[in-house]
Amino acid sequence: MTEHADDNKIGTCSNNRVTTELHTIQGEKVALPLAVRDASVASAMFAVPARAAQAVIAYSGLEAAAWRGRAVCSLAFVRYADGDLGAYHEFAVAFLVRHPDRERGVGAFIHWLPVNQEFTLEAGRSIWGFPKELADIPMDLSSRIKRCAVRIGGRTAIEVAVRPGPPIPARGGEPAVDAYSCLDGVTRRIPWSLRPGAVRTRPGGATVLLGDHPVAEELRGLGLDRARALTSSSVGRLSMTFGGAEEVRA
Amino acid sequence: MTRRTALVTGAGSGIGALAAQRLAAAAWDVVAIDVDEAGLARTARRSPNVHVRVCDVTDAAAVDKIAAEAGPAQRVVHAAAISPLAPAMDQPLEEVERVLRTNLLGTLHVVRATLPAMLAAGRGELILFSSLAAIAPGRMTSAYAAAKGGINAYAGSLAVEYGGRGVAIRCVCPAQVDTPAYRRQAAEHPAATGNARGMHAGVVLDAVDRSLARDELFVFPGPTARFASVASRHLPRTFRWIQDRYTAPAD
Repeated sequence: MTEHADDNKIGTCSNNRVTTELHTIQGEKVALPLAVRDASVASAMFAVPARAAQAVIAYSGLEAAAWRGRAVCSLAFVRYADGDLGAYHEFAVAFLVRHPDRERGVGAFIHWLPVNQEFTLEAGRSIWGFPKELADIPMDLSSRIKRCAVRIGGRTAIEVAVRPGPPIPARGGEPAVDAYSCLDGVTRRIPWSLRPGAVRTRPGGATVLLGDHPVAEELRGLGLDRARALTSSSVGRLSMTFGGAEEVRA
Repeated sequence: MTRRTALVTGAGSGIGALAAQRLAAAAWDVVAIDVDEAGLARTARRSPNVHVRVCDVTDAAAVDKIAAEAGPAQRVVHAAAISPLAPAMDQPLEEVERVLRTNLLGTLHVVRATLPAMLAAGRGELILFSSLAAIAPGRMTSAYAAAKGGINAYAGSLAVEYGGRGVAIRCVCPAQVDTPAYRRQAAEHPAATGNARGMHAGVVLDAVDRSLARDELFVFPGPTARFASVASRHLPRTFRWIQDRYTAPAD
């Protein structure tokens, strides 16, 4: 259920109208923009064949951003400790895509987003159309090498390890990104802003093991089980906001 | 996946709250204890695997009851503490007693309520939060430092008596941590606290997690605590000079 509660409080839609959105999830009101106050992340980006990446995301109608025949696929694992959707673990498979209505810039299309808690599962699917599914997602973000596994029905879909890079000085500011989702044939754009701290990054540095989940098969088709990462990163402290989703005609 | 149970005290804010939230994120069943009911509600918000219990750790019977209801815990994180700052000769005796009851006796109550079941199971992780003040006291921390020093000694005794029986015991000694309580103190006593910015609670908890992979009783998270733990012991004059340079007795 969605209510546009107040036209003058918080949040910004793409048409610059300021709104507060309220959604009811499991009997509780969830207000947008949604805040994540404390999260930790590790991620890796891979150059993959653009044609194969486009085939994977074709269902969204979006176009993978490609340079010299290569597109970018990102794997990330996130621990949400303090946020408006409760505490949970999440794994993300994303692709950089061109904006459907702009010449410049890229967004992040979220292709697969397993989570380990039910509240965020329902909220993510119904509010933003994020492709969340329930999984066991053990992860270690405290050790030098960050590790994560995604297990569904007792079977391992994917395991990722990210080795540490040198610290990167904080730039300040709050970078804004457009995330895209596609669920049940509807493609949506979600305004997303991030404030990272304790960032480390390096070239390469990631190891991926793929299991027998359909998404793992797709990633194997992209060559991720043998690819060297472009970059690997970890973010020790991350706060974020997510605005309301807007349907896009791709 | 097998459910794991953790018991976290001081879970209404600061380190205890973040510890409870991280464990909840990792799908543990978390019994979250604090005297601050509103804080507990914030910690547990939209996390059905966090079970809140309003309880004062100075009440041994209440702690026993909650631990018994929770069943054997695989991890205990005892972070509940208070830290009113005052010069040693000015601090009211009632306040000193309250600090000792909460911080030191509270620790004994939590350990006595939870350790026997872990020993019986032959596994578990007992994380006791002490402070760098236990070995390198700052200004206006006499009662707090005395209580935390007692926790260090108590943890050492536990390790001697119960070490090697499958339960990992850790005594965590951080420098200032960026918690709501510390921010209030730093604002109230900028000179005594040296205007020091506390470290993020997540850094402390990361150090605790890493320590569980090693066999070490005392954990000093971050470079400040590690330096101070060594310098206060081996270079006491230098350490005192640094303390005098960065802190002052009166605000």
